[in-house]
Amino acid sequence: MDKHISSQFDAELAGVSSRVLELGGLVESQIRHAVYALSQFSVEVADQVIATEKQVNAMEVDIDRELSSIIARRQPTARDLRLLMAISKITGNLERAGDESERIARMVKLIVDQGITRSLPASELRIAADMASGLLRKALDAFARLDVQTALVILKEDDLIDAEFDGFLRKLVTYMMEDPRTISASLDLLFVAKAIERIGDHAKNIAEFIIYVVKGADVRHTAMADIESAVK
Amino acid sequence: MNPANQLTPSGVKNAIEIRGLDFFYGTFKGLKGINLDIAEHKVTAFIGPSGCGKSTLLRTLNRMYSLYPGQRAEGQINLYGENVLDPKQDLNLLRARVGMVFQKPTPFPMSIYDNIAFGVKLYENLSRSEMDDRVEWALSKAAIWNEVKDKLGQSGLSLSGGQQQRLCIARTVAVKPKVILLDEPTSALDPISTAKVEELVHELKNDYTVAIVTHNMQQAARVSDYTAYMYLGELIEFGQTEQIFMKPARQETEDYITGRFG
Repeated sequence: MDKHISSQFDAELAGVSSRVLELGGLVESQIRHAVYALSQFSVEVADQVIATEKQVNAMEVDIDRELSSIIARRQPTARDLRLLMAISKITGNLERAGDESERIARMVKLIVDQGITRSLPASELRIAADMASGLLRKALDAFARLDVQTALVILKEDDLIDAEFDGFLRKLVTYMMEDPRTISASLDLLFVAKAIERIGDHAKNIAEFIIYVVKGADVRHTAMADIESAVK
Repeated sequence: MNPANQLTPSGVKNAIEIRGLDFFYGTFKGLKGINLDIAEHKVTAFIGPSGCGKSTLLRTLNRMYSLYPGQRAEGQINLYGENVLDPKQDLNLLRARVGMVFQKPTPFPMSIYDNIAFGVKLYENLSRSEMDDRVEWALSKAAIWNEVKDKLGQSGLSLSGGQQQRLCIARTVAVKPKVILLDEPTSALDPISTAKVEELVHELKNDYTVAIVTHNMQQAARVSDYTAYMYLGELIEFGQTEQIFMKPARQETEDYITGRFG
């Protein structure tokens, strides 16, 4: 991006952008740890995720404060304004993705407490979870480079996670029918699957804001064909 | 022709339609093929770096330039269908219909009352009481009546800068023009006076068409409905202010309004 006449303004925009990436990195590791806790039924790792969530929240508040300050002092317009709007939204999505990993961690603890872990297809969630955290990483990379083409790919890939979620749901139903004693834990697992699916949605939202920054087109709630013609 | 020059706000009645306007300072071409519509009862702002031609454009609208030898305009500026560049155009009448307020407040060295009455007397023959009414009306329109109503006999020069500027706006309003041109009306004012003038601009557009030149881009964003970005005598982009400041169509406009220019 071309430089502003005011190098201080450039430094502020670069600063807040890198804070977002830092937050993104932290959320990504939260997801990874939550999924690890799930696959190993590790209460210890789950506790760690729950504790780190506070850090995610604090970073969100910090970034919002920086954004308000830049808007108040610089009166940004056009692409700069869209960038700051997008950062505010992206930060919100990252924080929510952080909440979802905390939710997964709490579910892991519940499932472990019920002591019927081995009979459930928890490890099968791993594929969807890897897809979701991979998508989030890709979204953050695309944001760092303001890469519209990658953003488009992310929008399409999110559908795969949704399909994975539907498949897992059907599988859980058969488990519950076979052995009603697993119903309670299966429901917990369902919440975990839903959390993973939501993380994919947050990655998708971030991709939409990348398109907004670069192209100035708001592509939320828009059909894929229309999005593709908007970014032409 | 540059496609951006053809953009016109749709569904709005135009007070002024500029077509193929060129302007010359001697041999130097200060404006190049300007096509622009100024919508009635809206505020249109001209922005651009120094020397881009925005003040020149404003000064063609009431032929202020004809005070200076060697300056001439070619093309058409249609004010409600009447070409103001027509040599037969009565300049005094034109300037009554298209009033102007300048960068520095320019009250006449006479009483506040006479500052307003002076221009009115040139065009109209009013009785004393009618004139009193007109003075009060104009000062009220310019949102300064309450501040000066008890000292109408005092010199206009005794007022503060911000009050002087509003007095000048009142003087312009007093002759009931169609269009008001504001050339950097707040660049010599403090922030509070600036805010008052901006508020006034917002009020004025109910009754008048306003064109404003400003160096302050945030001011253009605050007060105008349409914004024209000019550079080196050309109209680069013209559109609704919201669109210009959220998503300009041209890279040059974006670089200027985001402070990346140069």
